[in-house]
Amino acid sequence: MNPALWISKTGLDAQTKQISVISNNLANASNIGFKKSRAVFEDLLYQTVNQPGGRTAQDTEAPSGLMLGAGTKVVATQKIHTQGDMITSDNALDLMIQGDGFFEILMPDGSSGYSRNGQFTLDDEGNIVTPGSGYMLQPQITVPVDALSIIISQDGEVSVTMQGEAEPAVVGQINLINFVNPTGLQPVGQNLYVETAVSGEPQEGVPGLEGFGMLVQGALETSNVNTTEELVNLIESQRVYEMNSKVISAVDEMLSYINQQL
Amino acid sequence: MDKLLYIAMSGAKQNMQALAINANNLANAKTTGFKADLAQARSMQVYGEGLPSRVFSMTERASQNFDSGAILHSGRSLDIAIEGEGFFAVQAEDGQEAYTRGGHLRLTETGLLETNDGELVIGEDGPIVLPLPVNNIQIARDGTIMVQPAGAPVTVQEEVGRIKMVNPNIRLIEKGNDGLFRAKDGEQLIADINVKVLGGALESSNVNPIHEMTQMIALQRQFEMQLKMMKTAEEVDTSASSLLRAF
Repeated sequence: MNPALWISKTGLDAQTKQISVISNNLANASNIGFKKSRAVFEDLLYQTVNQPGGRTAQDTEAPSGLMLGAGTKVVATQKIHTQGDMITSDNALDLMIQGDGFFEILMPDGSSGYSRNGQFTLDDEGNIVTPGSGYMLQPQITVPVDALSIIISQDGEVSVTMQGEAEPAVVGQINLINFVNPTGLQPVGQNLYVETAVSGEPQEGVPGLEGFGMLVQGALETSNVNTTEELVNLIESQRVYEMNSKVISAVDEMLSYINQQL
Repeated sequence: MDKLLYIAMSGAKQNMQALAINANNLANAKTTGFKADLAQARSMQVYGEGLPSRVFSMTERASQNFDSGAILHSGRSLDIAIEGEGFFAVQAEDGQEAYTRGGHLRLTETGLLETNDGELVIGEDGPIVLPLPVNNIQIARDGTIMVQPAGAPVTVQEEVGRIKMVNPNIRLIEKGNDGLFRAKDGEQLIADINVKVLGGALESSNVNPIHEMTQMIALQRQFEMQLKMMKTAEEVDTSASSLLRAF
């Protein structure tokens, strides 16, 4: 059948994927620590119908050939790890990473997940855990039950003040993890990422040192989704989708015209 | 059989192929750095007995539209857009140097800089490698890549290489089957220091949807006219045979 039908079909497919990426970004626009994705398009291989330089007569050559492209495809959805905005919450266990790095979270299967969502809470034993699923922050930090207040310094030192004691007692240290190529991390939901072959090995470090971001207590990082940008993208994708479907209907009309006329 | 029918058929067939080029441009209306293909038809005369009235058409993808697409700011340090004319060099799958304007770059786990399709970005002396881990990557306007190694003070900026950029005469390059550009004679192009690159931005596809849609309507109508000619050829034939039957 006509190649244009299938070429336009790849265009429709690509725009559908783009719109689902946009809708996921918009759905997570108010999600703490969320990083937006974007779909990356590429042109598919070209098919040579007439080779340039082919003979047209004994001593003349075709100066240009006919290469038909096969359409477009989504090659990747890329997470954009730029910093989100800061909102202050005054909650002692709300943490924001100002700069690079991830919190290390212990997943139920014993492996590590990585997150930028700093809305932590305590479980029944006083461990610092993630709010949704209650996964433990690594290294494990236990806050005594009778602690009056929790202080987390910029370099990740967690200390508590106790009744009748003037000096705060140190109960642990929050370290951050960084990756060579954070774009290569695989998002697995629940604001968590897992390591992959292209993300590189996790590198642990003290917040505020050696290129790691600082911790800010009582603040949260908003998602880095720019809603205006997403809506503009949505308009663009929708129109490109319509144009591709227009090509399909044009080819359809042409084919039906053949059937009517001949 | 009347030759008219075959000439009209060749026209209709070539219109369909031009439409495929059209459809490919529209499908790539959102592909970064994509350059729209231009379709053109050429008349191919057939010599033989009788009058030289048989001129078939042949559709060609003559070249690309090399106008710049719109520059979109993305803020990502590994996105680059070429300002004005020019291309940057990558290593294609066959190991040869090829040229593109699609500036979605990324790092491999060993620190090699590559495009999203996995083609290595070529610097002035071969593929560009970044000393991992790095903190901050900046791509200057002349393509120089500056990194701040992890742990180094902010004042330390290490130069790791410079992206090879070329500005060939567009008549001397062609788009290969993988969508990358190459010199027609197969030679490597010489780096041009005047090509400017913009970090944190991407160049959108330069497909002009209005142009493509208009082109599509024109092709569709032309196609219908070819079919009309085929229909006419049939009618002429029918009346010829009915004339014969009358005797």
